[in-house]
Amino acid sequence: MPRRQEIKKVLIIGSGPIVIGQACEFDYSGTQACKALMAEGLEVILVNSNPATIMTDPEIATRVYVEPLRVEFLEKILEKEKPDAVIPTLGGQTALNLALELHSRGILQKHSVELLGATPEVIKAAEDRELFRNILDKVGAKYPASHLVRTYEHGMAVGEELGYPLILRPNYTLGGGGGGIAYTPEDYQSMLAQALHESPTSEVLVEASILGWKEFELEVMRDAPGTFVVVCAIENLDPCGVHTGDSITVAPQQTLTDHEYQAMRDEARKIISEVGLQTGGANIQFAVHPETGERVVIEMNPRVSRSSALASKATGFPIAKIAALLAIGYRLDEIRNDITKTTPSCYEPALDYVVTKIPRFAFEKFGGAKDQLTTQMKSVGEVMGIGRTLQESLMKAMASLEGSDEAIPEVLLSTAKISYPNSRRIWHLFQAFRDGKTVEDLHALTGITPWFLEQLEGIVRFEQSLLSQYAKDPEAALKAAKKLGFTDARIAKVLGLTEERIRTQRREFGLRPRYQQVDTCAGEFESSTPYFYSSYWPTASVSLGVKEPVVVIGSGPNRIGQGIEFDYSCVRGVKAFRRAGIPVAMVNSNPETVSTDYDTSDVLFFEPLTAESIDEILHFTGARGFVAQLGGQTPINIAPRLVQAGHTLMGSSLEAIDLAEDRGLFTKICQELDFQIPNSAMAGGIETALAKESHVGYPMICRPSYVLGGRRMEVIENREELLSYFERHKEFILPEKPCMMDQFLAGALEVDVDLVRGVDWCVVGGIVEHIEAAGVHSGDSMGVLPPQRLKEDTCSRIETMAIRLANRLGVIGHLNLQLAVKDDVVYMLEANPRSSRSVPFVVKAAGMPLIDLGVAAMLGHDHERVQPAKYQWRSTNSVAVKGVVFPFKKFPEADSILGPEMKSTGESMGRGSDYPEALMKAFLSSNMTLPPNGEVFFSLRDKDKDMALLLAKELLKMGYRLSGTAGTARFFEENGLSCLSLKKVHEGRPHCVDRIRSGEVSFVVNTTTGRRSIEASFNIRRACTDYNIPCLTESDAAEAFVLALQNSRKGLLSVSPLSRAFEVS
Amino acid sequence: MKAWLVLETGETFEGTWNGGEDRAGEVVFNTSHSGYEEIATDPSYLGQIVCMTAPMMGNYGVDKGVWESRKIWIEGFICLQLQKTTRDQSWMTRLTEAGIPILSDVDTRNLVIRLRSGGTPLGALVRAETSEQAQQKSRNLIEAKRGLDKDWVHIASRKETEDRSGKNMVGPRIAVLDFGSKENILRELESRSSALRIFPSRASAEQVMSWKPDGVMLTNGPGDPADVKVAVETVRDLLGNIPIFGICMGHQILALALGAKTYKMKFGHRGSNHPIRDDLLGMIYVTSQNHGYAVDAKTLPTDVKVTHVNLNDQTVAGICSETRRCLGIQYHPEACPGPHEAQKLFQFFMEKMI
Repeated sequence: MPRRQEIKKVLIIGSGPIVIGQACEFDYSGTQACKALMAEGLEVILVNSNPATIMTDPEIATRVYVEPLRVEFLEKILEKEKPDAVIPTLGGQTALNLALELHSRGILQKHSVELLGATPEVIKAAEDRELFRNILDKVGAKYPASHLVRTYEHGMAVGEELGYPLILRPNYTLGGGGGGIAYTPEDYQSMLAQALHESPTSEVLVEASILGWKEFELEVMRDAPGTFVVVCAIENLDPCGVHTGDSITVAPQQTLTDHEYQAMRDEARKIISEVGLQTGGANIQFAVHPETGERVVIEMNPRVSRSSALASKATGFPIAKIAALLAIGYRLDEIRNDITKTTPSCYEPALDYVVTKIPRFAFEKFGGAKDQLTTQMKSVGEVMGIGRTLQESLMKAMASLEGSDEAIPEVLLSTAKISYPNSRRIWHLFQAFRDGKTVEDLHALTGITPWFLEQLEGIVRFEQSLLSQYAKDPEAALKAAKKLGFTDARIAKVLGLTEERIRTQRREFGLRPRYQQVDTCAGEFESSTPYFYSSYWPTASVSLGVKEPVVVIGSGPNRIGQGIEFDYSCVRGVKAFRRAGIPVAMVNSNPETVSTDYDTSDVLFFEPLTAESIDEILHFTGARGFVAQLGGQTPINIAPRLVQAGHTLMGSSLEAIDLAEDRGLFTKICQELDFQIPNSAMAGGIETALAKESHVGYPMICRPSYVLGGRRMEVIENREELLSYFERHKEFILPEKPCMMDQFLAGALEVDVDLVRGVDWCVVGGIVEHIEAAGVHSGDSMGVLPPQRLKEDTCSRIETMAIRLANRLGVIGHLNLQLAVKDDVVYMLEANPRSSRSVPFVVKAAGMPLIDLGVAAMLGHDHERVQPAKYQWRSTNSVAVKGVVFPFKKFPEADSILGPEMKSTGESMGRGSDYPEALMKAFLSSNMTLPPNGEVFFSLRDKDKDMALLLAKELLKMGYRLSGTAGTARFFEENGLSCLSLKKVHEGRPHCVDRIRSGEVSFVVNTTTGRRSIEASFNIRRACTDYNIPCLTESDAAEAFVLALQNSRKGLLSVSPLSRAFEVS
Repeated sequence: MKAWLVLETGETFEGTWNGGEDRAGEVVFNTSHSGYEEIATDPSYLGQIVCMTAPMMGNYGVDKGVWESRKIWIEGFICLQLQKTTRDQSWMTRLTEAGIPILSDVDTRNLVIRLRSGGTPLGALVRAETSEQAQQKSRNLIEAKRGLDKDWVHIASRKETEDRSGKNMVGPRIAVLDFGSKENILRELESRSSALRIFPSRASAEQVMSWKPDGVMLTNGPGDPADVKVAVETVRDLLGNIPIFGICMGHQILALALGAKTYKMKFGHRGSNHPIRDDLLGMIYVTSQNHGYAVDAKTLPTDVKVTHVNLNDQTVAGICSETRRCLGIQYHPEACPGPHEAQKLFQFFMEKMI
C-alpha cells in the first residue's frame, strides 16, 4: 500500500513546555516526523507553545505556530490552515488529550479532519483503564488486581479489600501525576483524595502492589496490514515500584529466557491488535514475578514516548520517522532501513552492545522534598551509555551524569539509601559492595535481580584488586579497568596517582577507546551510518568517513537550568556549520535530544561529556576544533582541560571566558568600563560580614561561593537575618570558601541581553525584560521582548554597554548578559560567554538567526561578509512573552515561592500584537487557567499593598470578589474596597487555606519576604499548587496576570505562524 | 587461559578459554538476543562453531525444558562475555561438561564483519600461548573435519523409528522424516495431530506410506542438502501422493526432489529478526532463521511458486505447489528461539493441505 495521495497537508501537535514526564524527547520525535513528512512533499503545519524546541524553528515545517496548546487555539489553526489530517501521536499525552477533546467536541468532524496514527477509540482504550482491562481480558493477559475508583468512599473500601501497599494511578495524567504508592491507610487517605482531584475524569485505578517484580517495556510498531515488530525490549534494573522514567533501564532485555521473552512479545502483539492501533509506535510495560515468572501488563501508550526515543537511540531505528510515514499510508516493508540502506524496516534490530539509561534528578532544588522514588516520575533528565557489556555501558552512563569524573566515587554508605528507592541508590549499591555486602544481602534489601547486582559486584571486586594487579602488570590492569568502564579519574583515585599520569601511561600502552557503529543489525549488513560509540573491547575502530570535523559538544542530561534550550543551540549550530561546508561531529549523552539524531550532524558520537571522553574523540576525529559555547555550562567547564590537551577551542578564547566567568576579573573590567555594579564583599565568617555590612548595605543577597544554580542563595533584609544566615550555613562558609554578599537591587527591573560578536562586528539579538523584579532567578521569571517598561533611551544605553563589554572581553561568538535597571541607573550583573537559555526565545521572538551568526563569528567571517546591519531586533512588530512552568506538583513538600534559585523545568511563548495578548497566551501556554470570575484572595507584604490596591480596584470593576488575610483585608476596607477577611492558618479554622481547598478561590496573590513569613504562608501556596489555582508570588506578575485576564475577557483569539527567520550566508 | 579461534585461512582471533576440548567446525554467527540454549541443542548446528553477536551469554542460566534435542550439537561457542559467577555458571558448565569449547572475550563484531564479507570458513577453537602455536594446533583439527562423511543429516537423524501419540484425537496422522529435527517441530505437530511416526532420514517412501500417514513432515537438519543421501529420492516418490511440508533442510530436500538446485550462501541467515513476505498467509512478519544454503528460484519447476521471500535479500524463503501438494519453508515456524508469527503455517498445512 503506497502513500495515501489524498493527504496533502497535516497538522502535528507538539507537547508544549518541558515538564517532568514530558520533555525534549517529543521535540526529537516531532522534529524527526516533520522532516520525514516534508521530504515526502507534504505541507506540514506544526503547533507547539514551546519556543526552546527545534521543531518550532521555521524551517522544520511548512508553517510553525507558537500558540497555546488549547482546543480554542487549535480550532483557529484548523480553520485557517484546513489540513487534511492531524497526527496526534508525536506530542505526548498532551497531544493525545487535545486530539481526543477536538474529537469529542466535534471540531475535527466539523472541519473534516482525519486523525492519523491513533483513533479516538485507541486513545481511550489506552488511557481508560477499565476499557484497557477489558481488552486484556479478551486476549487473556493478566493485570494486577485492581479496582477503578470514582469516589473517596469506594476507594477506602477497595483499600481494605486489596491490602497495603497500594498503587494509585489516576486516569489521563502524564508522568503518573497524582499517583503513588501508599504504604499505610494514613498515606492512602490523602493520596486518594489528591489522585481523584488530579484525574480530569476523577477516576483512579487502585492497584494491588507488584512491588519487587521485574519490569520490562516493549517498544513496538505496526503498520496498517498488521506487520508487527518489536524495536527494542527494555529491562528495568529497578524493580516495580519506581516509575520507568525514574528507573535505571537497560536494552536489550538481559534476564528473560527466549521462551519468556517470546511469550511477552506475543502478548504485546495481541494487545496492540485488540486495542485497534492501526499504525505507528506504542509501548507496553510488563511486570514479571521474579520467582514464579507470572507476567502482568502494567500499561500501554499508543504513541511515541520517552522510551521510544530511548529505543530509537539505543537501536538506530527511527521510530518517530517511521510512525509518521506509516500514518500517511506506507507499510513497514516499503520503508527502507535508513541505517543499512539496503534492508526494509519490517525487522527487529539486533544489538551487539548494551545500552544503559540513568535518570538525572533535581531534589536539591526543592527544599524539603523527600528524595524517594515512587510511581510518580520525578527525574528531570536522563543519560544513556553505550558499551559492549552491561558493565561498560553502565559505567559510561554513570560518567555521563556529570556528577563526578570518577563516575562511581565513594560515598558514605547508608542502608536507608539502599532499602528505599532514591536518586542516590546506585552509588550506595557500589559502596555497599565496597563495604563487604554480598549480592544476597542487596537482593534482599532491594529486590533487584541478582544478575544486575553481580555486574556491579564484578566492577567493585575488580576495583578492590586494582592496586595489586597494577603492581604486577600495569598494562593488563589498565586494560581490564578500561574494559569495565572505569574512568581515568577513578583509576587514578584508586591507585593514588594523578589522572594525568594514568592517561599518559594508558596511551603509552596504546590503550585508547575504539569507535564502533550503531548499525541496527549487529554487523550482519554493511552500513554507512555515522553513529558511533566508544568501547575498550574492540580491536579496531571503524573508519570515520569525514575529515577534520568541527566537534560540537552538547549539553548532556537535562537538568534545571540546562535543558532543551541548549540542544536548540547545538542543533542549529551544527546546521550552520554544515551549511558553511564544514563537517560536524556532534557529541552528547542525552537520548532525548534532536542533537543525537543520527542525521543531525555528519558524525554522531553518543558519549559522556567528560574531558577524558571528548579528548579521545578530538584525537580520533582529527578535529579542526571544538565548540564549547553552544551546550551550556557543561562544555565551558571542560574547555580548559581540552585546550590544555592541545585541542583548538573555536570562538571566544579561554582568556575571554575567564574574564567573564571569574568574578574578580569581571568586576575589574566593569570598573574599568565605568559600569555600575552592585556593591559586593566577601566574608569568610560573621565577623567580616558585619564589618562589610555597611559597605554592601541592606537588602543584600548572600550565597556561598562555589555553588551552582543559586543554591543556598538568600535575600537578607537586616542584621538579624544576616546573623541567622551565617549560623544556618556555617558549614559552607569558610575563610577559604567565603560567602559572597551582594547589594540587592530591590524592585529593580532585570533584563537579559543576548548578542553575538565577530572579529569586527557585533549584533545584539534582543533585550528581554523580566516581568518579575530583581530577586527571582532569570530562568524562573517571565520575560517580554521588546521591553514594555524600559525607556527607549535606557534600552540604547544597555545595548551600548553590552557591545562595549563584548569588545573588552574579546568575545568571539555568543555572550549573554544580565543587567538590572533601578532608578534609571543600569547595573551590570553577570556575563555568560556562551549561548544562553534565552537565545531560542530571542531567536523566535525577534526573528534573529543568532546561532547562525554565532557560527559565522566562530568561523571568522568579517563585517563585510556578515552585513550585521541587516539584523535589527527592534524591527519585530509582535510582542512575545516568555512563560514558565514549574514542577512543584511532583514535590509535595516543596514551596512554590520564587527566589534566586531556579526551579522551573520549561518555558512557553505567547505571541500577540500587543503585550496583554502575548501575556494571556503565555499564561495559557504555561498551563495556568485564567478564571473569568470568582474570588481573588490576597495576602501581601506591606510594600506591595499600594500597588495591589490598584489591582484590587480593577478586579472589582471586572466583577471579581476580594478576600484577604486580616491585615490585607483591613487595608482594602480602609481604602473603600469590600474585602472578606480570612484567618491565617495559625489563627484557627476555618482559615484561608480551607477556603482555597474548598474551591471558592479563583486565584491568589501572595507576596511575602523573610524566612519566617515565607514559612508561615507555605500552606497557601501549597494548596494552590495542589488544586491548580493560579498563585502569583510577585506583584509584577500579579499585574501581568490581570492584564492577561482583561485580554481574555475580550474573547478575541487570533493565531499567526512564525515568519521564516533569514539565514546567514 | 589464552585461546584462539583460528580460521582455515590462518586468521586468528584471540579470546579467553572457558573449558571444553579443542575442536573445529564451520564458523557461523547468530544475531538472536536470547535463546543460546535452543541454538546449541538444535541439530542443524551440527559441525558448527557459533558466534553470538549479542555480547553477554548465560545471563539466565539453563532450563532443560527448552532443549531442542537430547544433546548439544554445536562444536564450539564464541561470545564477548560469559556469565560465570558463583551463583550461576550453569551455561558454561553445561557446555564444557559436554566437551564444547567456549571462547569468550572475543571481538565478536570484528569476527562477524570478517564472516559477513568473506563467508563462513572452517575454523578451530584451540588453547595456545601464541597465535602461531594456535595456527599449528588447528591445522589438523580443521583437516580432520574436511574428511568427514558429508551426509550430516544422517548423523543428526534418529536411527530408529519413534512413535508418538498426538494430542488431537481427530487430527491427521503425520509421518516425520527426521533430518535432525528440533523438538519444537514435533511439539507443534503433536498438538495438532492424532499420531506421529518419526522415521530416520534414510527411510524409503514405501516405509513411510506403509504407516498410512495423512501428511509428511520433512524436518530441519544440518549440512549441505546436496550431500544428503536417499531422502531426495524418498521425497520424489512421495511427491504428489501425499501432502508434504518441509522446514529448512526439509524445504531444501523438497526443492531438490522437485528438480531445483540449492546453493551455499555467503554467510547464511542465523537470527530471530528476519522479515518475510508470506503470500500464502498474506502477511509480512519477523522470523527465526538458521540456514547456510538456499534454493535457487530460477531452477524451480513452473508449477511450484515462490510464496515466501526474505525481504532482506530477496532470497527464497518458501515454496508451494498446489498440484504437487507440497509446502517448503526455509525459516523456522516452530521458532525456539524467535518469534511465533509463522506458527500459523503448521495450521495452514493441517487445515488447507491435508
